[in-house]
Amino acid sequence: MARHVLVSALLAIVVAGCGAASQANPNDGVVHVATTTNFITDLAHRIGGDRVDVEGLMGPGVDPHLYKASANDVSTLADAELVLYGGLELEGKMGDVLEKLDRRKPTVAVTRDMPRDRLRAEPGYEDRPDPHVWFDVDLWRSAARTTAEALVEVDPAGRATYKRNLRAYDRRLRTLDAEARERIATIPEGRRVLVTSHDAFHYFGARYDIDVVAIQGVSTATEATTADVERVAKLIADRGVRSVFVESSVPPQTIEAVLASARRQGATATVGGELFADAAGDDGTPEGTYEGMIRHNLDAIVEGLR
Amino acid sequence: MSPADWQIMVTAGLVATACGLLGPFLVLRRVALLGDAVSHAVLPGIVATFLLFETRAPLPVIGGAAVFAVLCVLLIDALRSTGLVKADAAIGLVFPALFSLGVLGVHQWTANLHLDLDATIYGEIAFVPLDPWIVAGIELPRAAWTMLAVVALDLALVVALWKELKLTSFDPEFARSVLISPRVLSRLLLVAVAITAVTAFESVGAILVVTLLIVPAATARLLTDRLWLTVALAVAVGWVAAIGGYATAVRFDASIAGAMGVVAAVCFTLAFAGRSLVLARKRTLQSAS
Repeated sequence: MARHVLVSALLAIVVAGCGAASQANPNDGVVHVATTTNFITDLAHRIGGDRVDVEGLMGPGVDPHLYKASANDVSTLADAELVLYGGLELEGKMGDVLEKLDRRKPTVAVTRDMPRDRLRAEPGYEDRPDPHVWFDVDLWRSAARTTAEALVEVDPAGRATYKRNLRAYDRRLRTLDAEARERIATIPEGRRVLVTSHDAFHYFGARYDIDVVAIQGVSTATEATTADVERVAKLIADRGVRSVFVESSVPPQTIEAVLASARRQGATATVGGELFADAAGDDGTPEGTYEGMIRHNLDAIVEGLR
Repeated sequence: MSPADWQIMVTAGLVATACGLLGPFLVLRRVALLGDAVSHAVLPGIVATFLLFETRAPLPVIGGAAVFAVLCVLLIDALRSTGLVKADAAIGLVFPALFSLGVLGVHQWTANLHLDLDATIYGEIAFVPLDPWIVAGIELPRAAWTMLAVVALDLALVVALWKELKLTSFDPEFARSVLISPRVLSRLLLVAVAITAVTAFESVGAILVVTLLIVPAATARLLTDRLWLTVALAVAVGWVAAIGGYATAVRFDASIAGAMGVVAAVCFTLAFAGRSLVLARKRTLQSAS
């Protein structure tokens, strides 16, 4: 008898909490856009302006490779009229899902139209380019154009607005690109080395002429080996690098080991400012936008290395 | 409720069914952590698949992972049946070894690619409705179809070998007198667990599978001693976790697998508290009389 009561108690849990999910209204006159990382959210806002309602899935500080969905993401994606994502496997396994979603609704990788010869890849993996394209500001202009095209496709009536917004934003990106170039050039060439724990900065290095040295591999399943630590420490000592740039995603012990080893070799490198890599900063702060994120990184790098 | 809502619940329910059919036998045989072991042991299979075929597509990945999942459970079984190593130690010996092999492989050959368990085999249940398959005019998520096939397989195994499974689970010595050898039977069961786990990882992620293999079965064991009822209740508790967990996740905009795991744990806690109360009262009555 007691057991029967228990079983019914368990079943009661099902009934409890069966609430109704809120549904977005598709007829409210704005285009509903769902985005993945928060700098793509920013891009959709810049190009879409008042004509769009943008809902980003990933907030600040989220590694898109490792993103864990929450329940309302399902309805966000289901209710969206346009989905914008990074592509090039940036979103990991979710990218496969988004590729399939394109059969049902416009789902566009903002890297779609980037020229293949501008994409970087590891030797032997030419068909799997590095997805961290946004740190080449000039390349990100292509993402802005793709976003405008995608918006025109789903909302032809807004063509004039999107084109106007694109022109204005493109000007800002060109300014930012030139600014990045000038500011990195102020660092003496020998010390122009960006030692970082993350794989996100290769495009940045190529575009703005700064060597990028990563401490560990891309996959989160690997850790830095002692050989990695020694290699990076030697480079810091040899080139007189003054700052290294870490991120929360790498164990602090690894970076401590590198710095300690560099000190033994006579170098005096310290930890520089934190860089934004896979996501822009908090909403409402200057770093919460794409431009703000790039400027923050420029400030930190120039201050740390000059 | 939108179609996406019930598709997610049905997919989770099918995973719960497959896990509920096998989980009670794992709990009885004290190898409940097998699902967790398999979730790590598949890494070398994924690396090998990538090195051989340069792909991360679901089907080859499941295939490669399944090979190492089966290898993992058979190694555990072999080690255990020597009598030199207990079941828990056998699990703890085999899966870290295979996982380490995978980590070495990743580091050696694919360090510059995003080749890890999250990016390849662990699915996300939230995105299940975005990948539909239409079979015989019925549209269901691909994950639901594959889990349906796995449920059919597990059900066939459990029904066909019911008597033998029951005997060997409770009394392996006596079971030597039945037709099928307990060793072969045990291996069949373990292979079914490996295949179920790998398919379910790809559909809904690892943590949910590990949870659904253990928690509903353990809950059911507290509610009954009869084996058929244990299996039925394990499946039922799994469905409670699937539906209740989804409702909870939607209400709090939380991780779906996480919420399902919590609801399963709540079910177990309730059953545990209830069972403790019943036992305590029995003791009081006995000492009074």
